[in-house]
Amino acid sequence: MSTDTTPKAAGKLEGAAGDDSPAPAARVGRVAAWTFLIFIIVISIFPFYWALRTGLSNNGVLLSGDGSFLPPDASLINFQRVLGLLSAEEAAEFRGTGSFDFGRALRNSIIIATCVTFFQVAFSAMAAYAFARLKFTGRDKLFNLYLAGLMVPPIFVLIPNVILIRDLNLLNTLPGVMAPFLLMTPFAVFFLRQFFLGINRSIEEAALLDGAGHGRTFFEIILPMAAPQITTLAVLTYVQSWNEYLWPLVVAGDPEVQPLTVALGVFTTQQPGTSPDWSALMAATLLAALPVLILFAFTARRLVDSIQFSGIK
Amino acid sequence: MSSTAPPASEEAAIAANPQKPKQSLFRATQGDAGWRVAFWFLLPSLIGFLTFFLIPGLRGLYIAFTDWNLIANSGSFIGLDNFERLLNDDPQFWNSMRVTAWYVFLNIVSQTILSVTIAVMMDRLTNSIFVRGVMLLPYLMPNVIVALLWLWMLDGNLGVVNDFLGFFGIGPVNFFTDTTNVIPTIAGINTWRHMGYTALLIFAGLQTIPKGLYEAGALDGSTEAQMFRSITIPLLRPVLALVLVLTIVGSFQVFDTVQVATGGLSGQPGGPANASRVIYLYIFQNAFNFNDMGYAAAISVVLVILLLVVTVIQMRLLRAGESDLA
Amino acid sequence: MNRMKYLRLLAVLAVLAMLATACNSRTGDDADEADGEDTAAADSGDDAEDDGGDAPAGDGATIEYWLWDANQQPFYEECATAFTDETGINIEISQFGWGDYWTNLTTSFASDTAPDVFTNHLARYPEQVESGVLLPLNDFIDGSDVDTEQYFAGLAELWVVPEGDRFGLPKDFDTVALVLNTDALEEAGLSTEDAANLDWNPDDGGSFGEFIAQLSVDGNGNTGTSPDFDPSNVTQYGFGIEGPFGAFGQTTFSGFAVSNGYQALNENPFGDQANFDSPELHATIQWFADNIEAGFITPIEDVESLGGTTLFQNGTAATMTNGSWMINTLTGDETEVPVEFAPLPEGPTGESRSMFNGLADSITQSAEDPEAAWQWVEYLASTACQDVIGEAAVVFPAIPSSAEIAQNAHESNGVDVSAFTSYVENDTTFLFPITDSASQIEDIVGPVMQQILRGEVSAADGLGGVADQVNSILGS
Repeated sequence: MSTDTTPKAAGKLEGAAGDDSPAPAARVGRVAAWTFLIFIIVISIFPFYWALRTGLSNNGVLLSGDGSFLPPDASLINFQRVLGLLSAEEAAEFRGTGSFDFGRALRNSIIIATCVTFFQVAFSAMAAYAFARLKFTGRDKLFNLYLAGLMVPPIFVLIPNVILIRDLNLLNTLPGVMAPFLLMTPFAVFFLRQFFLGINRSIEEAALLDGAGHGRTFFEIILPMAAPQITTLAVLTYVQSWNEYLWPLVVAGDPEVQPLTVALGVFTTQQPGTSPDWSALMAATLLAALPVLILFAFTARRLVDSIQFSGIK
Repeated sequence: MSSTAPPASEEAAIAANPQKPKQSLFRATQGDAGWRVAFWFLLPSLIGFLTFFLIPGLRGLYIAFTDWNLIANSGSFIGLDNFERLLNDDPQFWNSMRVTAWYVFLNIVSQTILSVTIAVMMDRLTNSIFVRGVMLLPYLMPNVIVALLWLWMLDGNLGVVNDFLGFFGIGPVNFFTDTTNVIPTIAGINTWRHMGYTALLIFAGLQTIPKGLYEAGALDGSTEAQMFRSITIPLLRPVLALVLVLTIVGSFQVFDTVQVATGGLSGQPGGPANASRVIYLYIFQNAFNFNDMGYAAAISVVLVILLLVVTVIQMRLLRAGESDLA
Repeated sequence: MNRMKYLRLLAVLAVLAMLATACNSRTGDDADEADGEDTAAADSGDDAEDDGGDAPAGDGATIEYWLWDANQQPFYEECATAFTDETGINIEISQFGWGDYWTNLTTSFASDTAPDVFTNHLARYPEQVESGVLLPLNDFIDGSDVDTEQYFAGLAELWVVPEGDRFGLPKDFDTVALVLNTDALEEAGLSTEDAANLDWNPDDGGSFGEFIAQLSVDGNGNTGTSPDFDPSNVTQYGFGIEGPFGAFGQTTFSGFAVSNGYQALNENPFGDQANFDSPELHATIQWFADNIEAGFITPIEDVESLGGTTLFQNGTAATMTNGSWMINTLTGDETEVPVEFAPLPEGPTGESRSMFNGLADSITQSAEDPEAAWQWVEYLASTACQDVIGEAAVVFPAIPSSAEIAQNAHESNGVDVSAFTSYVENDTTFLFPITDSASQIEDIVGPVMQQILRGEVSAADGLGGVADQVNSILGS
């Protein structure tokens, strides 16, 4: 990895004096600071590289403890294995790797994250609109009640929710895995209400005067105007449901409906007494991280900005 | 045996929801449609809130006073027995409290120091979205994946980190299988995952500090360190307080990493020797491994109270830390 | 407006996906189980290779059967096929790894989606009985010609609770023996015969202690018998631990402790007192801890991170103890290490002892067609199926004649398994300890064992400290 450590002078350190070359001490400081930052960046990325290297090697090599930087005998076989692209006799070599059906877990993760994101954002947006724009008795009390929901740690409602899902006969079903997140989360309502409050009312009021109902106003004015924020929330929600572990761990014992997170966790404990199939596990781990990486690549700026925004307000 | 589940689960949820606000009670306020309109906007979220937050919250409170178990799906009211048991004769509960407290402490210290440092560096050096994006990357990964990545890298025998340490003649260090190392290791992993995210929050706070202050300070001949102490820290207090609230509440609830990465092979998560059995894991195990839902609920009631206390204290701090850019 | 249409379309799509998946996800009753048949929604292209796809609907009942050992699955599939041909009852087998088998089972009981029949374990069944999720087999047995005496002595009785109800019919048995890396032995000038005639005691380790010292080698090439041996730099340990000790140490310390005169419970099955304060046990565990420190036994940290079997297979441990269900994994073609077996060393009591454990199949209360489920259990516990299992030599069947088939099958593969069967012949087995609160006891004692093996506490202090706690749980 070669990194160019000569920064473009951002001109932030130099004060009003506008000097051409900072004092030597400051220059040393800058070099040290950049070194630190680059170190942090490397640390942030390295595990992903190492997972890739592991996924490209075979277990025999790993067990002999070869610590070289590049994969000793690169091949895509582990990725093919995880994705179920091997012929039967090729796969037979990997006896005892347990039954890890990556495709199935991926499908479940996609269904869960997609459905949860869509419904949660839609319903939360509706609620946020009511809290931001409609007047009704007890509005603020209700909103504060919602906010109180932010304070409740998930484990507290986990147990009763498991019993509820069980009573609804939804354990070990995809709807059961989605249910608690499908209709709202206090955070989503809160997040969108903040934005709706900031939208200029004059356009809405004009529409309302023209006789448009609240429904039309919401769909045709508010939603389009808040599209960037809604997208941001959707990305955050997607990532969150993609990463959810505890809830599906409890309600999705059946591999048929397990998302990737749970399936990966299970895969490590397939064979007691023998070490995990690291190369396949790392290949699977990377593949499981891939969708989020792709999503991130497309929405990085928006995500970064929205996270910074939540810090300021 | 039951019939097949209804295809759309919402219907079941709606049917299960006993309460609809009686509209007649809510008179429309002047000049507005009032509840008549709001009701439809709020309906889905209300159902969700009642079904999965409010009612379960109350039910959880009730279960804490019973000896409910999941397999038999029954339990009877036993009063304060669960609470008595955890206060008086459950050393494991106290052990998990200790472990959690230690973890929270380590996590707060390492995360805050690292994040502030990173944020200040970014503020001074670069505004590049690439740098900020890369730092955010670990935060977007599922805990499970993060745990597996580090479980592999930190393995006592095969891990690259031990290869690296061995290069300097250190080790091998048993990160996950040593009773004293396991909690610092998990704290380190979660710090790794969150440092970029937290740094971004602090960075945003830094951006609101007028640069003129630093310029004036420089003219007065203050050093970087002095300015950091007299300008940055005081003006950053609200953001720092927010970050602390998030971090503390979050670290009390550490679970995924411990569940996936500890206990070694075929051992119980929370190992070695319960050195990493945090409170969340202990609740989980009581509910689903020892089949003692009532007791698990009682412990989570204690956790809720604990978190409330922590939050209230921090809210005080927040208010105390209101800063004005006067 | 375009956006509206777009949103509507999205909504419709999402609803469709929901519907499709809701139908596709398993509910408790799968009379029309279309498992693995993808709907149009989110077709991922590859699905579980369940062979239920061609199950004829309506032709007899369908029994859902669970097991955890992937190695045994193909042969139970064979049994199932033969059984279906005979009775018209379809069997649908699911396998889950040991790691999540039990959690999965718990959830399935809670959600009424439990299998009709499943492979059960002695450590788990008492708690299931207490929760009332198992079906007693007594009436079925009375109405059939099953002879509960046809199994190895003691195996069938393990599944009877004090009240007299029987909850499983044995299908296999397992014992524990020494596993030897013959290359390592040769290197040290030792033979399998040497290993088969060892004695052990907790004071000085006996000839077994000497044996594992001879097999331990440090980085400088010194063996454990040399005064220069460096315990902090061991390249080959003389003896390996299979896994965490747990409370009863089936594959680890149990044989040693019992041959030292220890008994886990005051009576088995269903004793109301455990003997964790037994000096015989303390001495045994302490011997392990001391030898870990001396560098003759694999450190528990390595065992927990890599697994005892892995340490043996990569040459880190020259010998280990392991269960008979691992024979094929240990002697398979793809392993690098040449393996032979020997009985555990003789203890102070003058005998070589092994824990005797057996799996059985249980029927759940939620089984839709108990009669059909019983027929399957009966079949699994009969020679018809056990001969198939014996032929495959994956485990030792519970019926002696089938077990003999297994032994011969192993022998024709060139593997001598007499070490595992010797205990049965010499009647030196002892039964797996069965208690009502196995998981709680495990939770209390397991961590203490971990501390002892790490040298953080002495065996007497550690185990003595929890003995009363365990007994108060058992007594309640």
